[in-house]
Amino acid sequence: MAAITRDEKFWEGMRRLGFAATFLFMVFPIFWMVLTSFKVARDAYSTKIFFAPTLHNFISIFQDPYNFGPLLLNSLIVSFATVAIAIPAATCAAYAFSRYQFQGKNALMVAVLSSQFVPPVVVVLPFFILFKNLHLLDTRLALVILNLSFVLPFAVWMVKGFIDALPSDIEAAAVVDGCNRFQVLRHITLPLIMPGVVTSAVFGFIQSWNEFLFALILTNQKAVTLTVGLMGLHTDKGILWEHMAAASMLIMVPIFAISLTIREYFIEGLTMGAVK
Amino acid sequence: MHSREKYVKWVLMAPALLILIGTTLYPFLYSFITSFRFWRLTRSPVPKGFVGLDNYIRAFTDAGFWNSVWVTIFFTIVSVVLSMLIGLAIALILERATKLNTFMKSLLIFPFAMAPALKGFSWRFMLNPDYGILDAILDFCLPFMSDVVWLGEPYWAVFWLAMTEIWGWAPYIALVFIGALGALPKETQNAAKVDGANTFQVFWYITLPQLMPIIIMVGLLKTIFSVKMFDQVVTLTGGGPGRATETLNYYVYNQGFKFYDMGYASALAYILVTTMFIFAFVYVRFLMKGEQK
Repeated sequence: MAAITRDEKFWEGMRRLGFAATFLFMVFPIFWMVLTSFKVARDAYSTKIFFAPTLHNFISIFQDPYNFGPLLLNSLIVSFATVAIAIPAATCAAYAFSRYQFQGKNALMVAVLSSQFVPPVVVVLPFFILFKNLHLLDTRLALVILNLSFVLPFAVWMVKGFIDALPSDIEAAAVVDGCNRFQVLRHITLPLIMPGVVTSAVFGFIQSWNEFLFALILTNQKAVTLTVGLMGLHTDKGILWEHMAAASMLIMVPIFAISLTIREYFIEGLTMGAVK
Repeated sequence: MHSREKYVKWVLMAPALLILIGTTLYPFLYSFITSFRFWRLTRSPVPKGFVGLDNYIRAFTDAGFWNSVWVTIFFTIVSVVLSMLIGLAIALILERATKLNTFMKSLLIFPFAMAPALKGFSWRFMLNPDYGILDAILDFCLPFMSDVVWLGEPYWAVFWLAMTEIWGWAPYIALVFIGALGALPKETQNAAKVDGANTFQVFWYITLPQLMPIIIMVGLLKTIFSVKMFDQVVTLTGGGPGRATETLNYYVYNQGFKFYDMGYASALAYILVTTMFIFAFVYVRFLMKGEQK
Protein backbone atom coordinates (compact mmCIF):
# COMPACT_ATOMS: atom_id res chain seq x y z
CA MET A 1 0.00 0.00 0.00
CA ALA A 2 1.50 3.26 -1.10
CA ALA A 3 1.59 6.08 1.41
CA ILE A 4 -0.99 8.80 0.90
CA THR A 5 0.76 11.57 -0.96
CA ARG A 6 0.29 15.28 -0.44
CA ASP A 7 -1.30 15.41 -3.87
CA GLU A 8 -3.96 12.89 -2.90
CA LYS A 9 -4.59 14.66 0.41
CA PHE A 10 -5.13 17.95 -1.43
CA TRP A 11 -7.67 16.50 -3.83
CA GLU A 12 -9.46 14.67 -1.03
CA GLY A 13 -9.87 18.02 0.69
CA MET A 14 -11.12 19.62 -2.52
CA ARG A 15 -13.59 16.81 -2.91
CA ARG A 16 -15.04 17.44 0.55
CA LEU A 17 -15.26 21.15 -0.09
CA GLY A 18 -16.93 20.45 -3.43
CA PHE A 19 -19.38 18.07 -1.78
CA ALA A 20 -20.48 20.77 0.64
CA ALA A 21 -20.75 23.35 -2.15
CA THR A 22 -22.78 20.97 -4.32
CA PHE A 23 -25.12 20.24 -1.46
CA LEU A 24 -25.72 23.93 -0.80
CA PHE A 25 -26.15 24.77 -4.48
CA MET A 26 -28.64 21.96 -5.12
CA VAL A 27 -30.68 22.14 -1.96
CA PHE A 28 -30.77 25.79 -0.99
CA PRO A 29 -33.22 27.16 -3.61
CA ILE A 30 -35.65 24.36 -2.73
CA PHE A 31 -35.09 24.75 1.00
CA TRP A 32 -35.82 28.45 0.79
CA MET A 33 -39.11 27.89 -1.02
CA VAL A 34 -40.12 25.29 1.58
CA LEU A 35 -39.26 27.66 4.41
CA THR A 36 -41.14 30.54 2.83
CA SER A 37 -44.26 28.45 2.39
CA PHE A 38 -44.60 28.28 6.20
CA LYS A 39 -44.12 32.01 6.74
CA VAL A 40 -46.77 34.66 7.24
CA ALA A 41 -46.65 37.41 4.60
CA ARG A 42 -44.62 39.77 6.77
CA ASP A 43 -41.89 37.17 7.33
CA ALA A 44 -41.92 36.03 3.70
CA TYR A 45 -40.70 39.44 2.63
CA SER A 46 -37.60 39.14 4.78
CA THR A 47 -34.54 36.90 5.05
CA LYS A 48 -35.51 35.53 8.48
CA ILE A 49 -34.60 31.93 9.19
CA PHE A 50 -36.36 31.76 12.58
CA PHE A 51 -40.03 32.65 12.59
CA ALA A 52 -43.39 31.46 13.87
CA PRO A 53 -44.50 28.88 11.28
CA THR A 54 -48.03 28.81 9.91
CA LEU A 55 -50.07 26.54 7.66
CA HIS A 56 -52.23 29.44 6.59
CA ASN A 57 -50.75 29.68 3.07
CA PHE A 58 -51.65 26.08 2.24
CA ILE A 59 -55.25 26.70 3.21
CA SER A 60 -55.47 30.08 1.58
CA ILE A 61 -54.33 28.92 -1.88
CA PHE A 62 -57.36 26.64 -2.03
CA GLN A 63 -59.74 29.47 -1.19
CA ASP A 64 -60.98 32.50 -3.08
CA PRO A 65 -59.53 34.22 -5.04
CA TYR A 66 -56.72 31.71 -5.75
CA ASN A 67 -58.67 28.43 -5.92
CA PHE A 68 -55.87 26.00 -6.69
CA GLY A 69 -58.20 23.02 -6.20
CA PRO A 70 -59.52 22.85 -9.79
CA LEU A 71 -56.02 23.58 -11.07
CA LEU A 72 -54.66 20.61 -9.17
CA LEU A 73 -57.41 18.47 -10.66
CA ASN A 74 -56.60 19.73 -14.18
CA SER A 75 -52.90 18.95 -13.74
CA LEU A 76 -53.71 15.46 -12.46
CA ILE A 77 -56.19 14.63 -15.23
CA VAL A 78 -54.01 16.01 -18.03
CA SER A 79 -50.88 14.24 -16.80
CA PHE A 80 -52.58 10.89 -16.17
CA ALA A 81 -54.38 10.98 -19.51
CA THR A 82 -51.18 11.84 -21.37
CA VAL A 83 -49.32 8.96 -19.76
CA ALA A 84 -52.22 6.53 -20.24
CA ILE A 85 -52.13 7.16 -24.00
CA ALA A 86 -48.42 7.64 -24.51
CA ILE A 87 -46.97 4.68 -22.62
CA PRO A 88 -48.88 1.78 -24.24
CA ALA A 89 -48.33 3.31 -27.69
CA ALA A 90 -44.66 3.91 -26.96
CA THR A 91 -44.11 0.42 -25.57
CA CYS A 92 -45.54 -1.25 -28.68
CA ALA A 93 -43.52 0.96 -30.99
CA ALA A 94 -40.36 0.48 -28.93
CA TYR A 95 -40.80 -3.28 -29.13
CA ALA A 96 -41.09 -3.14 -32.92
CA PHE A 97 -38.02 -0.89 -33.18
CA SER A 98 -36.01 -3.10 -30.91
CA ARG A 99 -36.92 -6.54 -32.26
CA TYR A 100 -37.48 -6.09 -36.00
CA GLN A 101 -35.11 -5.24 -38.78
CA PHE A 102 -36.74 -3.54 -41.74
CA GLN A 103 -36.20 -1.07 -44.51
CA GLY A 104 -36.34 2.51 -43.34
CA LYS A 105 -36.11 1.63 -39.66
CA ASN A 106 -33.24 3.97 -38.91
CA ALA A 107 -34.90 6.84 -40.74
CA LEU A 108 -38.09 6.26 -38.77
CA MET A 109 -36.24 6.12 -35.46
CA VAL A 110 -34.41 9.34 -36.27
CA ALA A 111 -37.75 10.94 -37.12
CA VAL A 112 -39.16 9.90 -33.75
CA LEU A 113 -36.07 11.19 -31.98
CA SER A 114 -36.02 14.47 -33.90
CA SER A 115 -39.63 15.22 -33.10
CA GLN A 116 -38.38 15.93 -29.57
CA PHE A 117 -36.23 18.71 -30.94
CA VAL A 118 -39.03 20.63 -32.62
CA PRO A 119 -39.42 23.77 -30.50
CA PRO A 120 -42.77 23.70 -28.67
CA VAL A 121 -43.61 27.16 -29.97
CA VAL A 122 -43.66 25.76 -33.54
CA VAL A 123 -46.08 23.05 -32.51
CA VAL A 124 -48.39 25.38 -30.66
CA LEU A 125 -48.84 28.00 -33.41
CA PRO A 126 -50.91 25.82 -35.77
CA PHE A 127 -52.69 24.05 -32.93
CA PHE A 128 -53.79 27.34 -31.43
CA ILE A 129 -55.60 28.16 -34.67
CA LEU A 130 -56.95 24.62 -35.06
CA PHE A 131 -58.24 24.44 -31.49
CA LYS A 132 -59.74 27.91 -31.86
CA ASN A 133 -61.72 26.76 -34.90
CA LEU A 134 -62.76 23.51 -33.19
CA HIS A 135 -63.65 25.37 -29.96
CA LEU A 136 -61.15 23.28 -28.06
CA LEU A 137 -59.24 26.19 -26.55
CA ASP A 138 -59.17 26.05 -22.76
CA THR A 139 -59.90 22.31 -22.60
CA ARG A 140 -57.90 19.51 -21.03
CA LEU A 141 -58.14 17.52 -24.25
CA ALA A 142 -56.14 20.18 -26.07
CA LEU A 143 -53.37 19.94 -23.48
CA VAL A 144 -53.29 16.14 -23.61
CA ILE A 145 -52.94 16.20 -27.40
CA LEU A 146 -50.02 18.61 -27.29
CA ASN A 147 -48.31 16.94 -24.35
CA LEU A 148 -48.21 13.75 -26.38
CA SER A 149 -45.95 15.55 -28.86
CA PHE A 150 -43.05 15.47 -26.41
CA VAL A 151 -43.93 12.66 -23.98
CA LEU A 152 -44.41 10.02 -26.66
CA PRO A 153 -41.10 10.27 -28.57
CA PHE A 154 -39.14 10.38 -25.34
CA ALA A 155 -40.95 7.31 -24.03
CA VAL A 156 -40.35 5.36 -27.27
CA TRP A 157 -36.61 5.85 -26.95
CA MET A 158 -36.52 5.15 -23.26
CA VAL A 159 -38.54 1.91 -23.41
CA LYS A 160 -36.52 0.83 -26.43
CA GLY A 161 -33.38 1.14 -24.33
CA PHE A 162 -34.82 -1.23 -21.75
CA ILE A 163 -35.95 -3.76 -24.39
CA ASP A 164 -32.55 -3.60 -26.12
CA ALA A 165 -30.93 -4.58 -22.83
CA LEU A 166 -33.09 -7.72 -22.66
CA PRO A 167 -31.74 -10.84 -24.42
CA SER A 168 -34.14 -12.00 -27.14
CA ASP A 169 -33.54 -15.75 -26.55
CA ILE A 170 -36.47 -16.13 -24.16
CA GLU A 171 -38.81 -14.61 -26.71
CA ALA A 172 -37.47 -16.85 -29.45
CA ALA A 173 -38.23 -19.90 -27.29
CA ALA A 174 -41.77 -18.71 -26.74
CA VAL A 175 -42.27 -18.21 -30.47
CA VAL A 176 -41.11 -21.78 -31.09
CA ASP A 177 -43.66 -22.92 -28.50
CA GLY A 178 -46.38 -21.39 -30.67
CA CYS A 179 -46.97 -18.01 -29.09
CA ASN A 180 -47.65 -15.18 -31.49
CA ARG A 181 -45.83 -11.88 -31.22
CA PHE A 182 -48.56 -10.13 -29.25
CA GLN A 183 -48.65 -12.95 -26.70
CA VAL A 184 -44.87 -12.80 -26.42
CA LEU A 185 -44.95 -9.07 -25.82
CA ARG A 186 -47.80 -9.32 -23.35
CA HIS A 187 -46.70 -12.34 -21.30
CA ILE A 188 -42.91 -12.51 -21.66
CA THR A 189 -41.39 -9.17 -22.56
CA LEU A 190 -43.71 -6.79 -20.74
CA PRO A 191 -43.27 -8.28 -17.26
CA LEU A 192 -39.49 -8.22 -17.73
CA ILE A 193 -39.34 -4.59 -18.83
CA MET A 194 -41.94 -3.40 -16.33
CA PRO A 195 -39.39 -1.30 -14.38
CA GLY A 196 -38.51 0.47 -17.63
CA VAL A 197 -42.14 1.03 -18.54
CA VAL A 198 -42.92 2.40 -15.08
CA THR A 199 -39.89 4.67 -15.23
CA SER A 200 -40.98 6.02 -18.59
CA ALA A 201 -44.48 6.54 -17.25
CA VAL A 202 -43.13 8.50 -14.28
CA PHE A 203 -41.01 10.53 -16.64
CA GLY A 204 -43.93 11.29 -18.90
CA PHE A 205 -45.98 12.23 -15.88
CA ILE A 206 -43.33 14.65 -14.64
CA GLN A 207 -42.94 16.23 -18.06
CA SER A 208 -46.70 16.78 -18.41
CA TRP A 209 -47.04 17.96 -14.84
CA ASN A 210 -44.27 20.54 -15.30
CA GLU A 211 -45.42 21.66 -18.74
CA PHE A 212 -45.92 25.42 -18.96
CA LEU A 213 -45.81 26.88 -22.48
CA PHE A 214 -48.75 24.95 -23.97
CA ALA A 215 -50.94 25.53 -20.95
CA LEU A 216 -50.01 29.22 -20.89
CA ILE A 217 -51.12 29.69 -24.49
CA LEU A 218 -54.06 27.31 -24.74
CA THR A 219 -55.83 27.80 -21.41
CA ASN A 220 -57.18 30.81 -19.60
CA GLN A 221 -59.81 29.66 -17.12
CA LYS A 222 -61.36 26.20 -17.14
CA ALA A 223 -58.33 24.07 -18.00
CA VAL A 224 -55.56 26.08 -16.30
CA THR A 225 -52.93 23.82 -14.74
CA LEU A 226 -50.85 24.35 -11.61
CA THR A 227 -47.76 25.75 -13.32
CA VAL A 228 -49.78 28.38 -15.15
CA GLY A 229 -51.78 29.01 -11.99
CA LEU A 230 -48.60 30.46 -10.49
CA MET A 231 -48.95 33.35 -12.90
CA GLY A 232 -52.17 34.26 -11.11
CA LEU A 233 -50.16 35.03 -7.97
CA HIS A 234 -48.35 37.72 -9.91
CA THR A 235 -50.78 40.53 -9.13
CA ASP A 236 -50.55 44.27 -9.67
CA LYS A 237 -49.49 44.50 -6.02
CA GLY A 238 -46.46 42.38 -6.93
CA ILE A 239 -45.88 38.68 -6.45
CA LEU A 240 -47.50 37.15 -3.37
CA TRP A 241 -44.45 35.13 -2.37
CA GLU A 242 -45.88 33.31 0.62
CA HIS A 243 -48.68 31.95 -1.58
CA MET A 244 -46.27 31.34 -4.43
CA ALA A 245 -44.13 29.22 -2.11
CA ALA A 246 -47.11 27.20 -0.91
CA ALA A 247 -48.29 26.62 -4.47
CA SER A 248 -44.73 25.61 -5.40
CA MET A 249 -44.85 22.93 -2.71
CA LEU A 250 -48.05 21.66 -4.29
CA ILE A 251 -46.17 21.27 -7.58
CA MET A 252 -42.84 20.02 -6.23
CA VAL A 253 -43.74 17.56 -3.50
CA PRO A 254 -45.67 14.97 -5.58
CA ILE A 255 -42.94 14.99 -8.23
CA PHE A 256 -40.15 14.61 -5.69
CA ALA A 257 -42.04 11.82 -3.95
CA ILE A 258 -42.56 9.71 -7.07
CA SER A 259 -39.04 10.27 -8.37
CA LEU A 260 -37.60 9.13 -5.03
CA THR A 261 -39.65 5.93 -4.94
CA ILE A 262 -38.20 4.77 -8.23
CA ARG A 263 -34.83 6.42 -7.62
CA GLU A 264 -32.51 3.76 -9.02
CA TYR A 265 -34.42 3.13 -12.21
CA PHE A 266 -34.90 6.85 -12.53
CA ILE A 267 -31.18 7.55 -12.70
CA GLU A 268 -30.63 4.60 -15.03
CA GLY A 269 -33.43 5.65 -17.36
CA LEU A 270 -32.36 9.27 -17.30
CA THR A 271 -28.82 8.66 -18.32
CA MET A 272 -29.56 5.88 -20.79
CA GLY A 273 -31.61 7.77 -23.35
CA ALA A 274 -29.16 10.57 -23.82
CA VAL A 275 -25.84 8.94 -24.59
CA LYS A 276 -25.87 5.17 -24.70
CA MET B 1 -41.25 -15.94 -41.79
CA HIS B 2 -45.03 -15.97 -41.92
CA SER B 3 -46.65 -13.34 -44.06
CA ARG B 4 -48.75 -12.19 -41.09
CA GLU B 5 -45.61 -11.67 -39.07
CA LYS B 6 -44.64 -9.00 -41.60
CA TYR B 7 -47.51 -6.77 -40.60
CA VAL B 8 -47.12 -7.21 -36.87
CA LYS B 9 -44.43 -4.57 -36.56
CA TRP B 10 -46.54 -2.02 -38.43
CA VAL B 11 -49.53 -2.75 -36.23
CA LEU B 12 -47.30 -2.26 -33.20
CA MET B 13 -45.90 1.02 -34.47
CA ALA B 14 -49.14 2.42 -35.89
CA PRO B 15 -50.57 4.14 -32.78
CA ALA B 16 -47.32 5.90 -31.92
CA LEU B 17 -46.60 6.93 -35.49
CA LEU B 18 -50.12 8.23 -36.06
CA ILE B 19 -49.98 10.31 -32.89
CA LEU B 20 -46.62 11.73 -33.90
CA ILE B 21 -47.79 12.55 -37.40
CA GLY B 22 -50.74 14.39 -35.89
CA THR B 23 -48.93 16.21 -33.12
CA THR B 24 -45.59 16.96 -34.75
CA LEU B 25 -45.54 16.52 -38.50
CA TYR B 26 -48.85 18.30 -39.06
CA PRO B 27 -47.95 21.48 -37.14
CA PHE B 28 -44.47 21.32 -38.58
CA LEU B 29 -45.76 21.49 -42.16
CA TYR B 30 -48.58 23.88 -41.33
CA SER B 31 -46.15 26.39 -39.80
CA PHE B 32 -43.94 26.08 -42.84
CA ILE B 33 -46.77 27.04 -45.19
CA THR B 34 -47.98 29.80 -42.85
CA SER B 35 -44.48 31.29 -42.83
CA PHE B 36 -45.01 32.35 -46.46
CA ARG B 37 -48.34 34.03 -45.76
CA PHE B 38 -49.59 37.35 -44.50
CA TRP B 39 -51.83 36.52 -41.60
CA ARG B 40 -52.76 38.62 -38.60
CA LEU B 41 -55.34 36.89 -36.46
CA THR B 42 -56.60 40.26 -35.23
CA ARG B 43 -57.64 41.20 -38.74
CA SER B 44 -58.77 37.90 -40.18
CA PRO B 45 -59.56 34.43 -38.81
CA VAL B 46 -58.40 32.80 -42.06
CA PRO B 47 -55.02 33.18 -43.73
CA LYS B 48 -54.56 35.89 -46.36
CA GLY B 49 -52.52 35.52 -49.52
CA PHE B 50 -49.03 34.22 -49.97
CA VAL B 51 -46.30 36.82 -49.71
CA GLY B 52 -43.31 34.77 -50.75
CA LEU B 53 -40.27 35.33 -48.62
CA ASP B 54 -41.50 38.64 -47.16
CA ASN B 55 -41.77 37.33 -43.60
CA TYR B 56 -38.23 35.99 -43.72
CA ILE B 57 -36.86 39.18 -45.25
CA ARG B 58 -38.64 41.19 -42.59
CA ALA B 59 -36.85 39.20 -39.89
CA PHE B 60 -33.45 40.23 -41.19
CA THR B 61 -34.24 43.92 -40.90
CA ASP B 62 -36.00 43.58 -37.55
CA ALA B 63 -33.88 44.87 -34.66
CA GLY B 64 -36.01 42.88 -32.18
CA PHE B 65 -35.19 39.68 -34.04
CA TRP B 66 -31.45 40.36 -34.06
CA ASN B 67 -31.57 41.23 -30.39
CA SER B 68 -33.24 37.90 -29.66
CA VAL B 69 -30.60 36.07 -31.70
CA TRP B 70 -27.78 37.60 -29.65
CA VAL B 71 -29.59 36.99 -26.38
CA THR B 72 -30.10 33.34 -27.36
CA ILE B 73 -26.45 32.90 -28.34
CA PHE B 74 -25.19 34.55 -25.15
CA PHE B 75 -27.60 32.57 -22.99
CA THR B 76 -26.77 29.29 -24.73
CA ILE B 77 -23.02 29.71 -24.40
CA VAL B 78 -23.18 30.61 -20.71
CA SER B 79 -25.64 27.88 -19.81
CA VAL B 80 -23.95 25.13 -21.84
CA VAL B 81 -20.41 25.88 -20.69
CA LEU B 82 -21.26 26.33 -17.02
CA SER B 83 -23.65 23.41 -16.75
CA MET B 84 -21.06 21.12 -18.37
CA LEU B 85 -18.23 22.34 -16.11
CA ILE B 86 -20.32 22.18 -12.94
CA GLY B 87 -21.82 18.85 -14.00
CA LEU B 88 -18.36 17.38 -14.57
CA ALA B 89 -17.10 18.74 -11.26
CA ILE B 90 -20.05 17.21 -9.39
CA ALA B 91 -19.47 13.90 -11.18
CA LEU B 92 -15.80 13.84 -10.08
CA ILE B 93 -16.82 14.68 -6.52
CA LEU B 94 -19.43 11.91 -6.35
CA GLU B 95 -17.58 9.39 -8.51
CA ARG B 96 -16.88 6.83 -5.76
CA ALA B 97 -19.85 4.75 -4.65
CA THR B 98 -20.06 5.63 -0.96
CA LYS B 99 -23.24 5.84 1.08
CA LEU B 100 -23.04 9.62 1.31
CA ASN B 101 -22.55 9.92 -2.44
CA THR B 102 -25.55 7.71 -3.15
CA PHE B 103 -27.64 9.94 -0.91
CA MET B 104 -26.38 12.99 -2.78
CA LYS B 105 -27.18 11.39 -6.14
CA SER B 106 -30.80 11.09 -5.03
CA LEU B 107 -30.79 14.77 -4.12
CA LEU B 108 -29.53 15.58 -7.60
CA ILE B 109 -32.87 14.42 -9.01
CA PHE B 110 -34.70 17.29 -7.32
CA PRO B 111 -33.46 20.32 -9.25
CA PHE B 112 -33.80 18.36 -12.45
CA ALA B 113 -37.37 17.26 -11.74
CA MET B 114 -38.51 20.70 -10.67
CA ALA B 115 -40.87 22.51 -13.06
CA PRO B 116 -38.83 25.05 -15.10
CA ALA B 117 -41.50 27.68 -14.52
CA LEU B 118 -40.91 27.22 -10.81
CA LYS B 119 -37.15 27.55 -11.19
CA GLY B 120 -37.72 31.00 -12.62
CA PHE B 121 -39.96 32.12 -9.75
CA SER B 122 -37.73 30.61 -7.10
CA TRP B 123 -34.60 32.42 -8.34
CA ARG B 124 -36.56 35.62 -8.88
CA PHE B 125 -37.55 35.49 -5.22
CA MET B 126 -33.98 34.88 -4.06
CA LEU B 127 -32.59 37.69 -6.22
CA ASN B 128 -35.01 40.40 -5.12
CA PRO B 129 -32.96 43.44 -4.04
CA ASP B 130 -35.15 44.15 -0.99
CA TYR B 131 -35.79 40.75 0.58
CA GLY B 132 -33.99 38.18 -1.60
CA ILE B 133 -31.77 35.83 0.36
CA LEU B 134 -29.29 35.29 -2.47
CA ASP B 135 -29.08 39.03 -3.02
CA ALA B 136 -28.33 39.46 0.69
CA ILE B 137 -25.64 36.76 0.61
CA LEU B 138 -24.03 38.23 -2.50
CA ASP B 139 -24.10 41.72 -0.99
CA PHE B 140 -22.32 40.34 2.05
CA CYS B 141 -19.69 38.45 0.05
CA LEU B 142 -19.20 41.08 -2.65
CA PRO B 143 -19.82 44.41 -0.92
CA PHE B 144 -18.57 46.37 -3.93
CA MET B 145 -21.50 44.96 -5.93
CA SER B 146 -24.19 45.62 -3.34
CA ASP B 147 -25.82 48.26 -5.54
CA VAL B 148 -26.38 45.85 -8.40
CA VAL B 149 -30.03 45.00 -8.99
CA TRP B 150 -29.35 41.54 -10.40
CA LEU B 151 -32.37 41.24 -12.66
CA GLY B 152 -32.26 44.93 -13.58
CA GLU B 153 -28.93 44.85 -15.41
CA PRO B 154 -29.10 43.41 -18.94
CA TYR B 155 -26.06 41.12 -18.78
CA TRP B 156 -26.65 39.97 -15.24
CA ALA B 157 -30.28 39.20 -16.10
CA VAL B 158 -29.13 36.85 -18.88
CA PHE B 159 -26.56 35.35 -16.54
CA TRP B 160 -29.17 34.56 -13.88
CA LEU B 161 -31.53 33.25 -16.52
CA ALA B 162 -28.72 30.89 -17.49
CA MET B 163 -28.20 30.10 -13.79
CA THR B 164 -31.76 28.78 -13.38
CA GLU B 165 -31.06 26.52 -16.34
CA ILE B 166 -27.67 25.44 -15.00
CA TRP B 167 -29.16 24.68 -11.60
CA GLY B 168 -31.58 22.22 -13.19
CA TRP B 169 -29.24 20.70 -15.77
CA ALA B 170 -25.88 20.41 -14.02
CA PRO B 171 -27.19 17.60 -11.78
CA TYR B 172 -28.53 15.70 -14.77
CA ILE B 173 -25.23 16.09 -16.59
CA ALA B 174 -23.42 14.98 -13.44
CA LEU B 175 -25.49 11.78 -13.33
CA VAL B 176 -24.64 11.05 -16.97
CA PHE B 177 -20.95 11.64 -16.31
CA ILE B 178 -20.95 9.48 -13.16
CA GLY B 179 -22.32 6.63 -15.25
CA ALA B 180 -19.67 7.24 -17.89
CA LEU B 181 -16.83 7.48 -15.36
CA GLY B 182 -17.84 4.17 -13.84
CA ALA B 183 -17.66 2.48 -17.23
CA LEU B 184 -14.11 3.66 -18.02
CA PRO B 185 -11.32 1.07 -17.86
CA LYS B 186 -9.26 1.63 -14.71
CA GLU B 187 -6.03 0.03 -16.02
CA THR B 188 -4.74 3.07 -17.90
CA GLN B 189 -5.38 5.34 -14.93
CA ASN B 190 -3.57 2.99 -12.57
CA ALA B 191 -0.68 2.53 -14.98
CA ALA B 192 -0.27 6.30 -15.25
CA LYS B 193 -0.27 6.60 -11.45
CA VAL B 194 2.40 3.93 -11.17
CA ASP B 195 4.46 5.91 -13.69
CA GLY B 196 4.29 8.89 -11.33
CA ALA B 197 1.47 11.01 -12.80
CA ASN B 198 -0.32 13.17 -10.22
CA THR B 199 -4.08 13.29 -9.80
CA PHE B 200 -4.53 16.26 -12.09
CA GLN B 201 -2.34 14.77 -14.82
CA VAL B 202 -4.28 11.50 -14.73
CA PHE B 203 -7.52 13.42 -15.12
CA TRP B 204 -6.24 15.76 -17.85
CA TYR B 205 -4.33 13.28 -20.00
CA ILE B 206 -6.23 10.03 -19.41
CA THR B 207 -9.77 10.47 -18.07
CA LEU B 208 -10.76 13.59 -19.99
CA PRO B 209 -9.84 12.26 -23.46
CA GLN B 210 -11.68 9.02 -22.66
CA LEU B 211 -14.77 11.01 -21.69
CA MET B 212 -14.64 13.20 -24.79
CA PRO B 213 -17.28 11.38 -26.89
CA ILE B 214 -19.80 11.66 -24.05
CA ILE B 215 -18.86 15.28 -23.37
CA ILE B 216 -19.62 16.10 -27.01
CA MET B 217 -22.95 14.25 -26.90
CA VAL B 218 -24.07 15.93 -23.70
CA GLY B 219 -22.88 19.30 -25.00
CA LEU B 220 -24.99 18.95 -28.13
CA LEU B 221 -28.03 17.81 -26.17
CA LYS B 222 -27.67 20.69 -23.73
CA THR B 223 -27.29 23.16 -26.60
CA ILE B 224 -30.55 21.96 -28.13
CA PHE B 225 -32.37 22.28 -24.83
CA SER B 226 -30.86 25.70 -24.12
CA VAL B 227 -32.13 27.03 -27.43
CA LYS B 228 -35.55 25.54 -26.56
CA MET B 229 -35.65 27.11 -23.08
CA PHE B 230 -38.77 29.21 -22.59
CA ASP B 231 -40.51 28.94 -19.22
CA GLN B 232 -37.96 30.80 -17.12
CA VAL B 233 -37.98 33.83 -19.42
CA VAL B 234 -41.65 34.29 -18.52
CA THR B 235 -41.31 33.58 -14.81
CA LEU B 236 -37.87 35.07 -14.03
CA THR B 237 -37.62 38.21 -16.12
CA GLY B 238 -40.58 38.49 -18.49
CA GLY B 239 -38.06 39.32 -21.20
CA GLY B 240 -36.71 42.36 -19.40
CA PRO B 241 -35.08 44.59 -18.42
CA GLY B 242 -36.07 46.17 -21.72
CA ARG B 243 -35.44 43.39 -24.20
CA ALA B 244 -32.34 42.03 -22.50
CA THR B 245 -33.65 38.50 -21.96
CA GLU B 246 -35.92 38.12 -24.98
CA THR B 247 -34.68 34.84 -26.42
CA LEU B 248 -35.65 33.82 -29.93
CA ASN B 249 -38.22 31.42 -28.51
CA TYR B 250 -39.78 34.17 -26.44
CA TYR B 251 -39.74 36.55 -29.39
CA VAL B 252 -41.67 34.05 -31.51
CA TYR B 253 -44.14 33.66 -28.68
CA ASN B 254 -44.60 37.43 -28.47
CA GLN B 255 -45.13 37.83 -32.21
CA GLY B 256 -47.60 34.94 -32.27
CA PHE B 257 -49.59 35.38 -29.09
CA LYS B 258 -49.24 39.04 -28.18
CA PHE B 259 -49.43 40.57 -31.67
CA TYR B 260 -51.16 37.57 -33.29
CA ASP B 261 -48.96 37.90 -36.36
CA MET B 262 -49.11 34.24 -37.39
CA GLY B 263 -47.21 34.59 -40.66
CA TYR B 264 -44.26 36.39 -39.15
CA ALA B 265 -44.21 34.21 -36.04
CA SER B 266 -44.14 31.09 -38.22
CA ALA B 267 -41.24 32.43 -40.25
CA LEU B 268 -39.31 33.23 -37.06
CA ALA B 269 -40.17 29.80 -35.71
CA TYR B 270 -38.73 28.26 -38.83
CA ILE B 271 -35.48 30.15 -38.43
CA LEU B 272 -35.37 28.66 -34.93
CA VAL B 273 -36.17 25.18 -36.24
CA THR B 274 -33.41 25.36 -38.84
CA THR B 275 -30.82 26.30 -36.22
CA MET B 276 -31.96 23.58 -33.87
CA PHE B 277 -31.92 20.95 -36.55
CA ILE B 278 -28.30 21.64 -37.37
CA PHE B 279 -27.41 20.71 -33.79
CA ALA B 280 -29.96 17.90 -33.73
CA PHE B 281 -28.52 16.47 -36.96
CA VAL B 282 -25.01 16.26 -35.51
CA TYR B 283 -26.38 14.83 -32.26
CA VAL B 284 -28.43 12.16 -34.02
CA ARG B 285 -25.44 11.17 -36.16
CA PHE B 286 -23.44 10.55 -33.00
CA LEU B 287 -26.26 8.68 -31.31
CA MET B 288 -27.01 6.42 -34.28
CA LYS B 289 -23.33 5.51 -34.52
CA GLY B 290 -23.66 4.14 -31.00
CA GLU B 291 -26.90 2.41 -32.01
CA GLN B 292 -25.27 0.35 -34.74
CA LYS B 293 -22.47 -0.95 -32.53
